[in-house]
Amino acid sequence: MGDKDKSPKKKKGGKDMDELKKEVPITEHKMSIEEVCRKFQTDCVQGLTNAKAAEYLIRDGPNALTPPPTTPEWVKFCRQLFGGFSVLLWTGAVLCFLAYAIQAATEDDPAGDNLYLGIVLTAVVVITGCFSYFQEAKSSKIMESFKNMVPQQALVIREGEKVQINAEEVVGGDLVEVKGGDRIPADIRVVSAHGCKVDNSSLTGESEPQSRSPDNTHDNPLETRNVAFFSTNCVEGTARGIVICTGDHTVMGRIATLTSGLETGKTPIAKEIEHFIHIITGVAVFLGVTFFILAIVLGYSWLEAVIFLIGIIVANVPEGLLATVTVCLTLTAKRMAKKNCLVKNLEAVETLGSTSTICSDKTGTLTQNRMTVAHMWFDNQIHEADTTEDQSGASFDKSSVTWLSLARVAGLCNRAQFKAGQDALPILKRDVAGDASESALLKCIELCCGSVRANRDRNKKVAEIPFNSTNKYQLSIHETEDTNDNRYLLVMKGAPERILDCCSTIMVQGKEQPMDEELKESFQNAYMELGGLGERVLGFCHTMLAEDQYPKGFAFDTDDVNFQTDQLCFIGLMSMIDPPRAAVPDAVGKCRSAGIKVIMVTGDHPITAKAIAKGVGIISEGNETVEDIAARLNIPVSQVNPRDAKACVIHGTDLKDLSQDQMDDILRNHTEIVFARTSPQQKLIIVEGCQRLGAIVAVTGDGVNDSPALKKADIGVAMGISGSDVSKQAADMILLDDNFASIVTGVEEGRLIFDNLKKSIAYTLTSNIPEITPFLLFICANIPLPLGTITILCIDLGTDMVPAISLAYETAESDIMKRQPRNPFRDKLVNERLISIAYGQIGMIQAVAGFFAYFVILAENGFLPSRLVGIRLNWDDRSVNDLEDSYGQQWTYEQRKIVEFTCHTAFFVSIVVVQWADVIICKTRRNSVFQQGMRNKILIFGLFEETALAAFLSYCPGMDVALRMYPLKPSWWFCAFPYSFLIFVYDEVRKLLLRRNPGGWVERETYY
Amino acid sequence: MAKDGDNGWKEYVWNPRTREFLGRTASSWGLILLFYLVFYIFLAGMFCLTMYVMLQTLDDHKPKWQDRLSTPGMVIRPKADEYYEITYNTQKTESWDMYAQTLDKFLSPYNNTAQVEKNNVCKPDEYFKQEDSGEVKNNPKRSCQFNRTILDECSGITDRYYGYQEGKPCIIIKLNRVIGMLPGKDGQAPFVTCGAKKEDNEKIGELQYFPPNGTFNLMYYPYYGKKAQVNYSQPLVAVKFLNITTNEDVNIECRINANNIPTGSERDKWAGRVSFKLRINTI
Repeated sequence: MGDKDKSPKKKKGGKDMDELKKEVPITEHKMSIEEVCRKFQTDCVQGLTNAKAAEYLIRDGPNALTPPPTTPEWVKFCRQLFGGFSVLLWTGAVLCFLAYAIQAATEDDPAGDNLYLGIVLTAVVVITGCFSYFQEAKSSKIMESFKNMVPQQALVIREGEKVQINAEEVVGGDLVEVKGGDRIPADIRVVSAHGCKVDNSSLTGESEPQSRSPDNTHDNPLETRNVAFFSTNCVEGTARGIVICTGDHTVMGRIATLTSGLETGKTPIAKEIEHFIHIITGVAVFLGVTFFILAIVLGYSWLEAVIFLIGIIVANVPEGLLATVTVCLTLTAKRMAKKNCLVKNLEAVETLGSTSTICSDKTGTLTQNRMTVAHMWFDNQIHEADTTEDQSGASFDKSSVTWLSLARVAGLCNRAQFKAGQDALPILKRDVAGDASESALLKCIELCCGSVRANRDRNKKVAEIPFNSTNKYQLSIHETEDTNDNRYLLVMKGAPERILDCCSTIMVQGKEQPMDEELKESFQNAYMELGGLGERVLGFCHTMLAEDQYPKGFAFDTDDVNFQTDQLCFIGLMSMIDPPRAAVPDAVGKCRSAGIKVIMVTGDHPITAKAIAKGVGIISEGNETVEDIAARLNIPVSQVNPRDAKACVIHGTDLKDLSQDQMDDILRNHTEIVFARTSPQQKLIIVEGCQRLGAIVAVTGDGVNDSPALKKADIGVAMGISGSDVSKQAADMILLDDNFASIVTGVEEGRLIFDNLKKSIAYTLTSNIPEITPFLLFICANIPLPLGTITILCIDLGTDMVPAISLAYETAESDIMKRQPRNPFRDKLVNERLISIAYGQIGMIQAVAGFFAYFVILAENGFLPSRLVGIRLNWDDRSVNDLEDSYGQQWTYEQRKIVEFTCHTAFFVSIVVVQWADVIICKTRRNSVFQQGMRNKILIFGLFEETALAAFLSYCPGMDVALRMYPLKPSWWFCAFPYSFLIFVYDEVRKLLLRRNPGGWVERETYY
Repeated sequence: MAKDGDNGWKEYVWNPRTREFLGRTASSWGLILLFYLVFYIFLAGMFCLTMYVMLQTLDDHKPKWQDRLSTPGMVIRPKADEYYEITYNTQKTESWDMYAQTLDKFLSPYNNTAQVEKNNVCKPDEYFKQEDSGEVKNNPKRSCQFNRTILDECSGITDRYYGYQEGKPCIIIKLNRVIGMLPGKDGQAPFVTCGAKKEDNEKIGELQYFPPNGTFNLMYYPYYGKKAQVNYSQPLVAVKFLNITTNEDVNIECRINANNIPTGSERDKWAGRVSFKLRINTI
């Protein structure tokens, strides 16, 4: 039905998507302010009239993002109710009711069995459906905690008056005012700005705040200075602008729409479970139909054949398994939440385990998203600063006079300051008001040399020229702390080459020396080296102003500079970077040893990206890019064989020109890839490229720009602290501590749960065989039924549940982080080897054990096996009340039925007994139980629980009426013991052979 | 896509390149089948072994457990149909003829000649015990005669239609055999009583039991099992309905009366009692 309906829909969706994938169509940045005003019929001083604003609001709708469409709850519920095995069970239930209806219509006193069974089956489906539904609902509720409840406010100017309104009411053409700390309410074209800087990191991934001014500096609206974007933050300064886009039309809105419009595939575990359900359903339908036909051929009535069909369906479907899987996944999700991985979508728990490629955003994920001083150059030497989060790194010699001067300059020529009331916090954790690099300097100096504020108080500032892009420096003039010294101290920092130009001397070992060529070259080298590390370098210089020229009280004029700004003394360089998080290199290493390819995808500059990539091991030591090889061999880039380079750094603009084949080629042939300057759309393309090559892709990111990729990825991982709401919305998993290393935990847990689910399924499926075979023999050999439908349900939904779940607590057999990620095409959750072991081998032993108990009970009651074959017709005939046994005794219908139900109970108990051994052998797939140990307390509890439950069902008074289960003689419990022991020994031997001959026949045929 | 899948499917069934049938080569198939053959033979062997051990523990003459048979079942003859309804029309021979035939067949082993030939005359009113002396089995065990003539009017000898023709039908009742059962304590033989169910009290009329009082004589007990007591003749009681209301359903229940047989559960309608419906049409 879907095909005809789907294709045009898809096409339409595709067209929209393509449009969204194109770059942003904003043109206002190229217009003059007047043109923009004209376009929106607004005024850049008075703003819109209230009437116009109201009109626009009605025309364009509120300035808010349309929330992504959600599936209604009842649809979700129905999906749980009719998905998976439910269809089979519904069929069974309907057949039951049908059979009962036929009986009711044809007989006076119909037996209620079928009615009860129908009700039980319906209840089973509904209860398991409700269970899964509530489990899922629970995990999706997590998201609600992230919803931002505080309504955003915006300051707009309408009819010349400033009014504070809800951000939702902002319309195109509104004149808005933003100041430091505000969130920008819509996409605005800047009209005027005062030292305004915005943090675009959530949109572009650039970690540095960028200044905003009315001038158009770039054709690309994302790069130009005169547009500020919806939901980015204004860090400092103030700006006024005209709103040009609102709501879904904003750049952010387009990305959000693109994100919610993306169709995501099924999770790998969902595919696996579907595959498994197909297998089981196939077997059930095949057996059911075969035996239905066989029954008809053998001369059973339609009604009987239908009842057989029901029995086979019930026996074939592991009713409790899907609930078990849900519980296992929930348990893992909880365990991961404790380790700061919050899983939104339950099935995503396993996805990380299957992941073969991680595309990681740089800013905030791999790095601390905090500029930090990394290096310094003074005394003609590069010193390394400590960039680790906990200050455990190396330190440098702080005794040099040059360093003290440098620290003084960096502290004084700095407008950043700590926000009040944070004295208790460690310095690095404190919030700073001010620009990122100044904050970095502030923290660095505070750490090394004590309170900067005290220093500033001692050296009072008398004048200051703030940084601007034409000067490219910042200077301030201070009184000295030495009260006898009346000279003023001039301190300056800025772009190194600019600072150098102002200097004539340089301080080396605390002494001023004239700047000679040698020192200049040394400066150049240091500058190049630090720049090459992707760091932002600042130069520092100072001078003591001569007292005779600038006596105390001299009026410094900063607009019309009336003081010396050259012939200064150069002190040194300090370079800053957003350093990698401490745990990241280790985590990347672990990912690599786990066979996972880590790709960096960032909006930042290639040099910075490469530096960080090298720092965290994404480009490992000794691996070179094409450019590196070219530089080393001193040959042009074009002459290098790209195959020689394992690593590569690709620029977004190059990526744009790549064909799909070239893209595949890059992804296939390079193990270490960095994509820099990528747009959100390109991130999406990269993810699609990886998926095209068969990889299961995880994407980590925090920005809005990452969200399409997060959504498209098999598993999107968003950051809990720094992440934007849109990214959290799009992700499947949230790292509460923003730490990439938590992903490793996720991978480990995911792989473990995949292994453990295999064990759990192997355990559960095994008991299917002892459930089916009684029916088959009942039909073929005409013996009394050895195991009833109700007892089957008792096994599937009763005794098997806890042990199956307990396998989820099993610890890993070997280092799961040392092996390759599973191949989704080859390594199935349920493969033919698992079926072969569970059905063909262990299941058969179990069935034989059950039959043994059955024969023992009948024989001890007088019906020897030889008497049983063919007895069924009389046995099940209510009117035969003098059926003769092997000894010549005669039995009424009810008497022999009690024996039959006792057999059901004994068969059931025997299955419990052999399942003891089964759960123990399922603990491991390769190791011996003796290596693995029995430390799984839940499993031990499970063993006792299932035994207690079995005893309860057998001995509790009233069970004979309720479930038709009867008390067993103590000796009957032991019938299955030899088989239980056989299962254990058989599997231990199998695993021993498997370990002895790696890759041998036993492994090929039985290692699931 | 579909074409691709089709090819893949064909290739899966028979891949000429790798000579694989259903994903396995001949030797691979051979090995796995051999493995399963050996495995199942071993499993069958294990099953046989455990069964053999279990059967060794069984007694040849008496089952290990008899607790389900504490209240022996009761059965009537002729057994009419599934619902224990005996309905016939005195006017229509074919409607009751089959009952007579059934009874003929059922009673033929009780013919006096056959009984005399195979069985002993026992001392009545006491159990006929033939205990084994320790390890020495006292086999085969003898059985007591139950002559057809004991049933007198219901024996089919005097009235070969067992009263069906005249609307005074005989019903024969037997108590299920249970090895070692000694019904009736203190020399009190168990006996059968029949009565109508509630509202049919008026309709049942007079009953006559054969042997008199409807007793199962004690000499027929205990039963030693079909292996030791090959020719055991199960004692019978016949009930003759002398003037039952015709053209109406009469629900009748017969029960065994013995001071050491428990009443049995509500569930089991055939243990220690038997109920049936009798309808004799005369029109």
